[in-house]
This record gives sequence, C-alpha cells and structure tokens, in this order.
Amino acid sequence: MALDTSIPVLVVDDYKTMIRIIRNLLKQLGFEDVDEAADGTEALGKMKERRYGLVISDWNMEPMTGYELLKQVRSDSSLSKTPFIMVTAESKTENVIAAKKAGVNNYIVKPFNAPTLKSKIEAVFGD
Amino acid sequence: MSDMSSEHVAKIIDFLRNGRKAEDVSLEDVMRLAELMAESFQSFFKTMDLAIYAELGEMAREIANMKEELALLRLSDMRDEHIPTAGRELDAIVEATEEATNTIMSAAEEIMAADATDNDAYQALVGEKVIDIFQACSFQDITGQRISKVVSTLNALDKRITTLVEKLKIMRITDAAGDETAAEKRARELMLHGPQFKGEGVSQDDIDAYF
Repeated sequence: MALDTSIPVLVVDDYKTMIRIIRNLLKQLGFEDVDEAADGTEALGKMKERRYGLVISDWNMEPMTGYELLKQVRSDSSLSKTPFIMVTAESKTENVIAAKKAGVNNYIVKPFNAPTLKSKIEAVFGD
Repeated sequence: MSDMSSEHVAKIIDFLRNGRKAEDVSLEDVMRLAELMAESFQSFFKTMDLAIYAELGEMAREIANMKEELALLRLSDMRDEHIPTAGRELDAIVEATEEATNTIMSAAEEIMAADATDNDAYQALVGEKVIDIFQACSFQDITGQRISKVVSTLNALDKRITTLVEKLKIMRITDAAGDETAAEKRARELMLHGPQFKGEGVSQDDIDAYF
C-alpha cells in the first residue's frame, strides 16, 4: 500500500532550523500539507483546531515538552488515535521506554536522514 | 585579659559594625575577623601560655598567607573578564552556525525548487549555489577557534577552583538538598538529557527494537 502523503502533518520543534529540515524532507517524500508549532502548548492548540494525520515532535521544548504533549494527546479521547513520532536528541533508554509507555508510535534519534524518517513513517502506517 | 580588653575588643567591634564590605558575609570578611581574633587572643594568651601564643601566631601567619595566595588566583579576573568573554564566544558560535545553516539550507532549497528542464540555467544555478555552500562551511574553522578559547577558559577556571579547594582544605563538597532549582527539577523529572556523546545513549537500531 502506498504511503498516503495527502494527510496533514504537524511538526513540533522549538528549533526553526529543525522544522525547516523536517519540512523539506517531508516535501521530498511527497507530504505538502505541513503545519508547524514551536512547543507542546502551541501544538495542542493547533491539534484541537485541526485533525492531523501525523504529529512529529521534538522532546526537549518549553513550556510544554514533546513528552508532555504526547501524554496530553493520548489522554484526550478526541486526539488519542493521532499517530505520533518523537524525533529527538534524547537517546537514553529510559526516555525511549517512557515514550513507548506513553503511547508513542515511533522514535527517531537526531541526527537522522530522509530514509530513516521515511521508514519510520511507513512503519507507523503499516506499510 | 587586660591586654586584650580595650584596644583589641574595640577593633573587633569596629570591624563587625563597619568593616564589612557588603551586606552578605564574604570569605574575606571571615578571614579578616579571624585575623583580628587571632591578634587579640595572641596578646591575651601571651601572658599565660607560650605554646598557645605560638600557635596563635602560626594561625595568624597562615591566614595572611592564604589571603596572599587567594589574591594570586585572581578569581575576580575570571568573573569580570574570562567568563563573560567565553559567554560572548559561545553566543558568536551559535550565531555563526545559525547563519551558515540558513545559507546552506537556502541554497539547497533553491536547487530543489529550480526548473531542471532548462539545462544550462539549471547547471549555472547549481554551480552558484554549491559555491555558496562551500563558503558557508568556512564557519567550522572560525567556530573551532572560538571553541578552543572557551575550552582554555574552562581549563583555567578548573585549575583555579582546584587550587582554591586545596587552599581552603575543602575535602568534599556535597550538594545541599535544597539547591535544586525548579528548572533543574523539571529537567530531571522530564528526563531532559539533551544530545548524548558519540557512543553513549542508545542507537537508532537499539531504539527500533522497542517498536
């Protein structure tokens, strides 16, 4: 099954350059409908206004981290099914386990490349 | 006791009332007070016990030596000059890497968006943008030099702190339980470790095993 690249994607990162990198990589993969947020609070606000097909979030942000965003998303019945990928420099085992327990669909360590991003998105959608 | 009572007690009282340089008690204040006390007791014990008198004299000399040695460490230079300079170097590194990243990304984006059907124009554009990318990469040389300066400052700071710890005979510094700031507590609870060093943390392959 081909990847559905028409879904709206929300990229959450407080580092504008990283958003730009992910946006360009997504563009290369065919995703054109990409929104962005600078932290968990902004992301949650956007998610309540629009239904996203995928959230790609950093962990280390203020005031709301990606981990807190993930937990909020999973505890909100209207958002809980949203596929969620963590893209982060936080590569300690305890972080990966915590994110997995909180319901993350996949986890990518920075720095990463386009094939890694593609394979994780495909894994999330079962391709 | 008559030897110390009037003049020396007056000196101590005067110091406690007026001698301190600031509201907070500094190390210098403590040393100055110890010096005054040693001088006072010296004259008092002189009449009673020569051994104690000699011991007090030794203490007074130790304090005076320590003051001289601390002055030689030039700790205020670190605070007033070296550390602020290191901060500026780090700010400049952040600025330079950001500028270079933006230049490289803009060049890449222009190449990605260019019309490849016009071969000549496309080649010219790619050539021009590749030069921009090469030029932007020169940031590495400059940031490398800046980082070396920051590392030198950290080494100097480490050396002076180590010397200070030795001079003050501080055997072990323990963290007070109440020292953790709200930001540190939040970082600990939310497991904000930041990037790991190469070979530390877990690899993407290790992570994939969890999914």
